[in-house]
Amino acid sequence: MLLIKNLTKKYGKFTALDNLNMEIKKGEIFGFVGPNGAGKTTTMRIVSGLLKTDSGTVNVDGVDAGTNPGELKSKIGYMPDFFGVYDNLKALEYMEFYASIYGITGNKAKQLCLELMDLVQLTDQGDSYVDEMSRGMKQRLCLARSLVHNPRLLVLDEPASGLDPRARLEMKDILKELHNKGKTILISSHILPELAQMCTNIGIIEKGKMVVSGTVEEILSARGTASPIVMKFTAGQDRAVEVLKQNSLVQNITIRDNSISILFKGNETEEADILAAMIQSGAMLSSFTREESSLESLFMQITAGEEQEVSE
Amino acid sequence: MRFNPVYRKELKISIRSIRTAIILLGYNGILALFGLFAFYVTFEYDSRYGGTVDYASILRIYAIITVAEFGLVLFTVPALTAASISGERERQTLEILLTTKLTPLQIILGKLASSISMMIFLAFSSLPILAIVFTIGGVTLRDFAEFMLLIVVTAVFIGSVGIFFSTLFKKTTSATVSTYGVLLVLGLGTLAVLWAIRLIIQIKMKKFSGDVMPYQTPDAGNWILILLINPAVTYFSMMEDQIGTGSRLTSFFGNFGTVSMEIQKYWFFISVFLQLGVSAFLLGISARLLNPLRNRFYRKKKSS
Ligand SMILES: Nc1ncnc2c1ncn2[C@@H]1O[C@H](COP(=O)(O)OP(=O)(O)O)[C@@H](O)[C@H]1O
Ligand SMILES: [Mg+2]
Repeated sequence: MLLIKNLTKKYGKFTALDNLNMEIKKGEIFGFVGPNGAGKTTTMRIVSGLLKTDSGTVNVDGVDAGTNPGELKSKIGYMPDFFGVYDNLKALEYMEFYASIYGITGNKAKQLCLELMDLVQLTDQGDSYVDEMSRGMKQRLCLARSLVHNPRLLVLDEPASGLDPRARLEMKDILKELHNKGKTILISSHILPELAQMCTNIGIIEKGKMVVSGTVEEILSARGTASPIVMKFTAGQDRAVEVLKQNSLVQNITIRDNSISILFKGNETEEADILAAMIQSGAMLSSFTREESSLESLFMQITAGEEQEVSE
Repeated sequence: MRFNPVYRKELKISIRSIRTAIILLGYNGILALFGLFAFYVTFEYDSRYGGTVDYASILRIYAIITVAEFGLVLFTVPALTAASISGERERQTLEILLTTKLTPLQIILGKLASSISMMIFLAFSSLPILAIVFTIGGVTLRDFAEFMLLIVVTAVFIGSVGIFFSTLFKKTTSATVSTYGVLLVLGLGTLAVLWAIRLIIQIKMKKFSGDVMPYQTPDAGNWILILLINPAVTYFSMMEDQIGTGSRLTSFFGNFGTVSMEIQKYWFFISVFLQLGVSAFLLGISARLLNPLRNRFYRKKKSS
């Protein structure tokens, strides 16, 4: 359904997307996760025909995004991360306006729009003025709007951001329903747990690169020794960090307020060695544990930079 | 032909907005004041001090009312168009429009059409005031139709400028200021340029002819043709066609040089077509600017 190959996008000298590769098959809900500024919105705007690529190809349902933007638009329903609505327009009229763009008018339009509003749980809201609706309602209306032309691929940029928990839950239900109807969905978020439960696939992007992608199960099982080791210190943390930095099996160090978590590619003997080395250096360890595997910790571990401060 | 969806949406929204009611009131209110003023000057003032009403000068009423209306059009159109695209951008609805089937040109044309409809609506609402002139006579329906045509053409012309800036700039404020700025340049700037050219030529003539200067009007040559895009001059040429003899137009041009009889005779139509041409050009550029996938006008230096 969506095939992105070696996509590169630069804003001036800044490389926002760096040889990004991505594939979404029909019927998948693809969770596109990454910290703020990773390039999710940039990718989605390119897929929706709002941004030019510098190099690489984007293919949506057999249509090349670069050469056939008109055809592309008929395949895609896009919901931006920030969007507005018109004043002085009622919800149903708002829907009918977008329907009319696709040549759907009159009773047919009304019926379709009411159906879609039903789907996003906005039944009986047709007469409300859109600028007076709550944020959650606007978001759902915008989602209904993006479905007006029955697109093959839905591109939803952070649809849950800024919503209260209840509204999030509603959004989740709606997406499940759309999935059951066979829609293919690309949905982004900077919070992984939000997506983990409703997606079939996950792709994690960082600094414009796809770090890992696959089905939720694949990602979890492929981790093996990849879960981080978390350590707590009562003293000598700095010295321990020095020791960790020397060790080639330590691939990633994340320093938090009262703990350090490392990505360690070694077996248990090697674990014991590094523990001994730290103690020898004078660090006072109070705990040293391999974290339980969870998608969330994976995300933390992948998206945490080489060495960075995370305040909690 | 199906209606442009953007056009329909715009009309629906503007009919409901309080702003439209205010514009309608202001437009007709000001026009009515001018109408009353014209009437007063012609009948009350003239007859009191002259004892008679000079029916030859009654056409003045027509001139005053139409000049007032034309001025109102010039001031209203930027307000109607300068927010057209930038407003959607500020409201964050533009991106969504651009991901729909609509082409940038369709969006631009829908916006223009709705602004012009609004202008036509205003012009028609003012017909009762304009009709004052008919009670006296001297003006034909053809003159009226021509004036309405001029309003539409001017709305397209200035409207295209407004839409162009609205597409170019992110902020409605910048677009509005620029559009009024261009209006000022078209209306007064063109005259200023001609005055300046005339002055330069005058100084040069003085230099070459020494102290004894034979009287001769400095001729700005073909530069005078820039007045073709001056809406005020277009209006003036129409008035001269309708209720004048053309002599005032000749003497006006005489300030800057000479215009060939052929051009002067068809000045109105030439300028109308020229202005429509400029409009088409501006709308084309706007559509291009609006296209997110366009190639840049200028290429950034490739870092190799
Ligand atoms: N129009 C732009 N001009 C310059 N830099 C931009 C622009 N849009 C985005 N960026 C930069 O590109 C990077 C990726 O942004 P974005 O795709 O919005 O990330 P995300 O959606 O994952 O938070 C960010 O560092 C951002 O600052
Ligand atoms: Mg984003």
